[in-house]
Amino acid sequence: MVIWGVIGLYRKISLLAAAIILLHGCAPQRPYRMPMPPSSSTVRTPQTTAPIPPPPALPPPELSRRPVPQEGGIREEDIGTKSPMPPASGKETKESSRQAGLGESRASPGSTVFQPTTPPLPDDSSLVAKITPGISPQRAASLRLTDEGRKLLDAGDAVKALARLERTIDIDSTNPYGYFFLAKAQNRLGRYQESLNFLDVAESRLNGEPFWLAEVHALRGENYRALGQPQRAETSYVQSLRLNSGNRTAADALLRMQADLQSPAK
Amino acid sequence: MLLRCFCARIEPRFEARGLFKSKLQIFSISLVALLVVTTSGLVFGAWYLKQLEETVTKKFEKPFSSFPSKIYSDSYLLYVGISLRLDDLAEKLRRLGYFETPSTPRTKGEYRISRGSVEIYLHDFEFPTEQRKGMPVRIALQGTTLTRIEDLASGKDMFDLELEPELVTGLYERIWQERTIVKLPDVPPLVIKAVLAVEDERFFSHFGIDPVGIMRAMWVNLTSMSRQQGGSTLTQQLMKNFFLSDERTMSRKIPEAIMALIAERKYSKETILENYLNEIYLGQRGSQGIFGVWEASHFYFGKPLSDLTVGETALLAGLIRAPNKLSPYRNAELAIRRRNVVLAKLLDERIISRKQYDTALREKLPKRALVKVTNDAPFYVDYLRRELNENYSSDVQNKEGLRIFSGLDLQLQRIAERALVEGLNKLEATRPALRRRNSEDSLEGAIVVLRPQTGEIKAMVGGRNYQKSQFNRVFQAKRQPGSVFKPFVYLAALMYGGQSGVQYTPDSVLNDSPFTWSYDGQNWQPTNYNNEYFGAVTFRRALENSLNSATGRLAQDVGIRRVRDIAHRLGIQSSLPAVPSLALGSAEVTPLEVAVAFSTLANGGTRPRPLAVRNVMDQNTRLLENRHVRSEQVIDRQLAYRMNDLLKGVLDRGTGIAARRWGFTRPAAGKTGTTNDYKDAWFVGWTPDLLAVVWVGYDGPSKIGLSGAEAALPIWTEFMKAATASMAVTDFIPPVPMNEGPEAPAGKCGPYSREGEPAEPCPPSALQPIRSAEPL
Repeated sequence: MVIWGVIGLYRKISLLAAAIILLHGCAPQRPYRMPMPPSSSTVRTPQTTAPIPPPPALPPPELSRRPVPQEGGIREEDIGTKSPMPPASGKETKESSRQAGLGESRASPGSTVFQPTTPPLPDDSSLVAKITPGISPQRAASLRLTDEGRKLLDAGDAVKALARLERTIDIDSTNPYGYFFLAKAQNRLGRYQESLNFLDVAESRLNGEPFWLAEVHALRGENYRALGQPQRAETSYVQSLRLNSGNRTAADALLRMQADLQSPAK
Repeated sequence: MLLRCFCARIEPRFEARGLFKSKLQIFSISLVALLVVTTSGLVFGAWYLKQLEETVTKKFEKPFSSFPSKIYSDSYLLYVGISLRLDDLAEKLRRLGYFETPSTPRTKGEYRISRGSVEIYLHDFEFPTEQRKGMPVRIALQGTTLTRIEDLASGKDMFDLELEPELVTGLYERIWQERTIVKLPDVPPLVIKAVLAVEDERFFSHFGIDPVGIMRAMWVNLTSMSRQQGGSTLTQQLMKNFFLSDERTMSRKIPEAIMALIAERKYSKETILENYLNEIYLGQRGSQGIFGVWEASHFYFGKPLSDLTVGETALLAGLIRAPNKLSPYRNAELAIRRRNVVLAKLLDERIISRKQYDTALREKLPKRALVKVTNDAPFYVDYLRRELNENYSSDVQNKEGLRIFSGLDLQLQRIAERALVEGLNKLEATRPALRRRNSEDSLEGAIVVLRPQTGEIKAMVGGRNYQKSQFNRVFQAKRQPGSVFKPFVYLAALMYGGQSGVQYTPDSVLNDSPFTWSYDGQNWQPTNYNNEYFGAVTFRRALENSLNSATGRLAQDVGIRRVRDIAHRLGIQSSLPAVPSLALGSAEVTPLEVAVAFSTLANGGTRPRPLAVRNVMDQNTRLLENRHVRSEQVIDRQLAYRMNDLLKGVLDRGTGIAARRWGFTRPAAGKTGTTNDYKDAWFVGWTPDLLAVVWVGYDGPSKIGLSGAEAALPIWTEFMKAATASMAVTDFIPPVPMNEGPEAPAGKCGPYSREGEPAEPCPPSALQPIRSAEPL
């Protein structure tokens, strides 16, 4: 009798446990954002070769504390943390466009969405148009190659584009657009950190062109979003729209981020 | 029974029974021995035949299992506006295997130089990311400027054109066999008939060996008292080539004959013929052996088999007997004579008509210079192999037919090698004390060249003589850099300021006087060259003239750890101890590290990754690996520009000023380096587009007794003059907007304190030029 009782109790406990597990599994899941999958790699290994190890890493630079910005002092950007710089002398320099302030731009549920107040900039995307009569042959060749690289990117051939774009900086290392599209190619290939590196270089070489700076920030946002850093992504998109309210990449991305945050769990 | 019968017959002849018995025993033993020998022989023979059969089978099933890998240089991009000399272009085309023709190029691989233009019929080429079909183009030049590129097929203008890379060398096991496999149906019938006519006209009749042919050859040789003909069949020759041996001994001939019989039994005539046409040795190009008719067709005529004329086909077939002796590159007359013999044979056999024969006889052999494939960059190749070893085993590299594309610029490589060797020779000639009796300890040097914007290693010479020593001093030798390290101190000062609160600028005033730096219970006292001190000097001048004491004081104020961090940040990977003498370059580094670190400055503060291997393809032209340009902005662009500006002063006014006297006048920055004990002499210098590091010294502990300006700078200057001769003149461009900050007003000097104290008036000595007595 006792034994039957124990067995019966055991069966009831098992059923209860099974029911709990089943119900928990069927519970609605909170939505989460998947990081963007990397594009197919260009590296293929033959069967007879060893797997390709990551490239040797350069020693991490020991970053010292950034000195307190002084008027007239040379500012050094803290590469490691990418913390934004305060504006110099009240002017809107390119560093100052990377503001950390998120107050008006955070698209969190219930808060205000960033509303650009300036009209969009005219389209300055044509590279061929920048080939003017007085331009150096190196810059002209570099711009044409950049344009070729861009077309290849648009056609979906990031590997070929990369090869073409590397030539552009070989010919003219001051061509900022070459670096921008190199960043774009790296982004397409899923190498987001590399893309960010090239964007830094592109930004440092852009001659205060707001249209292109906006593109830089927008692509930076894409990279941060892919790396799972939504805050930084948002900051970058907002900075892009501040420079050019017509930047579709930034505008669409912000809308998507807002929609993701506001959509109910499915 | 036979034995008994035999015994019965002979028994009566012998009186002693014992004598008969012993003879019987000897006979029995002999018979048994004979049986054993015969059986063993048969067994061994069967086994040997089996071995030979297996060898034949293995060779036929996988005839060409080993394909050498090839290393290519960087490709050469031509674009409208580029500076280009006609001679340089012609030389480049020649090295790429193009042949000059007096008429319009109609075949791939030809070019013609006219007044002010070059017409080229480009080769087909498989680039890593695209395949290019050969096409005719015209390049127009106005003086030394390329003004137009025209696609002659479509008539359209092109704004750029990529010339294929040069073949640097192959990676192979024992012998470099260059071949491209061709299927029998793709071989023109005339080629097959010509080969058979001269080498084995009874190929389709015999069974592997040709007794009739052997007899005929013996008769001809006997009557002519010389070896005019061979009796080997095509099949036998194939067996011989499989073993890569030219032995004509019986010990080789017999197995070859047996293998020929086996091959004929197992495989069809077509299979044997196809293997033969792909296996046959047909010439030499430096270290590269030419095997197979497809390869030979391209090597001798620059065209595919299908495009060969009757005369060219005959010449090709005639080469088989003695490819090097009969090579048109070596002896055109002999080649023509042999060709004519083959043509006569073809006519005799009615393979060609009389008309074809007459036309072929009149064909002229185009004058072509042999461009040998000799490894002109052995140190670079060694470095590249080390990079390849990360992902590919030696076996794969030597046998899998990889195509490896590098950043090597062969023209720069040749210039670098010449500059180094001639520079070292000149040093020894002018300073006999530098010569050593023991060649193992002779004066050595190294030079490495980088493109700062991409990090590509364009040239590398790791020593004076690769044949003598393969030790690559560019990346294997760690040496003290001496004053080459000083820019890191000054950069750290500009970046961080001093721990005393001073914010340094190029016009800050430093104190160049003796001092002692105490640390960890020790004292360090840097001394200036010739014990000469200059008191108050500007920041700029202290760097230009490489003053030890001023630099030491600066490093003390900035903090040696910050100096070390800057060096690492720019690209020095070696471990650097945080000791005061680090400021004067006491820690050992390689020339390659120095090149990368200063490339960061040259590249506007962006640190590149050094690249030798760019792409790797397999033998089926599938892209295996793509090593991209990688750069990281590690210091502010404005800061980099400021450092470049300071270091320009080294060449314009400072310790490197001799380069200007020797004829190098381009905008450039640099730094000399000499170690305290005069064991190492360095110079690192760069334009915005090219950077080169030169090191001179002995491998052993001997001192050269010369400064960087005396030993390394001359080599650097000669290299850069030649390397940049055809490049556009460029200067470092200030970044915009330039954070100028408060430069010291005229007549006023810094330093400025963090609290913003006004500038102090400059002491008179700071404003006077310092004579460049300091070679460091």
